[in-house]
Amino acid sequence: MLPLSLLSAAQNKPMLVELKNGETFNGHLVNCDNFMNITLREVYQTSADGDRFWKLKECYIRGSTIKYLRVPDQLLDVVKEDQLRAREANRTTRGGPPGRGGRGAPPRGRGAPRAAPRGGGRGRGRG
Amino acid sequence: MDSLIPFTTSGSLVDCVDRKMLVILRDGRKLHGVLRSYDQFANLVLEDTVERIYHGNAFAEHWHGLFLIRGENVVLLGEVDLDQEDDVPLRQVDYQVLDPYHRNDIAQKKLHDEAKAKILYEQRGFCKEGGEGDGY
Repeated sequence: MLPLSLLSAAQNKPMLVELKNGETFNGHLVNCDNFMNITLREVYQTSADGDRFWKLKECYIRGSTIKYLRVPDQLLDVVKEDQLRAREANRTTRGGPPGRGGRGAPPRGRGAPRAAPRGGGRGRGRG
Repeated sequence: MDSLIPFTTSGSLVDCVDRKMLVILRDGRKLHGVLRSYDQFANLVLEDTVERIYHGNAFAEHWHGLFLIRGENVVLLGEVDLDQEDDVPLRQVDYQVLDPYHRNDIAQKKLHDEAKAKILYEQRGFCKEGGEGDGY
């Protein structure tokens, strides 16, 4: 689960975003993209020194200005379960053993480069 | 084995996944947490994150939870040696107790840095620091 996939899995979840300048935004994630640009709704904005607040209906934050995001703790578990369920569903609709051929999601590590090629070059140009 | 993996973000961080790590951010914050994921920008996912502050020989922790850190803001990422973790000759105190001291330290450092930059600029012919105000 890459950081940005985790972010897109956090759609409609509450989160806290801190910008590089120290301002924070509390709200629910509406959408995000691969640049980490995000839109939030029902936002509470806090100034860097923490003594001024604003309430915003909706806001857009450019990804490059973000320092970090805090997301709900359960999110990691939810995402893991969802992935497992998706893989399971994929397997039952396709039939056959998992992880062999086809375009189905292969059993993945953690975004680490694959050290050894699996399947030994089979399945490509076999017919 | 190590030599087979090129020196890239993804290559050098594989071994750190699921380990307890220390992350220092550009703003000086020190976060301890378990590294769960990362990408080519060194964006990090940290689970069970605590922030640590220090003053003198005391430290305090503040629990945060799940963090997604944008890679640009990371200064340092280091593995915590679990065997030696408890050997630090520091005393843990309440966060609320230490926080004012810590804030004061930051304010003092800021004043000091500003004074230094002023002297360097006005008397020593140095240029002004870039807008961000920290040394990185």
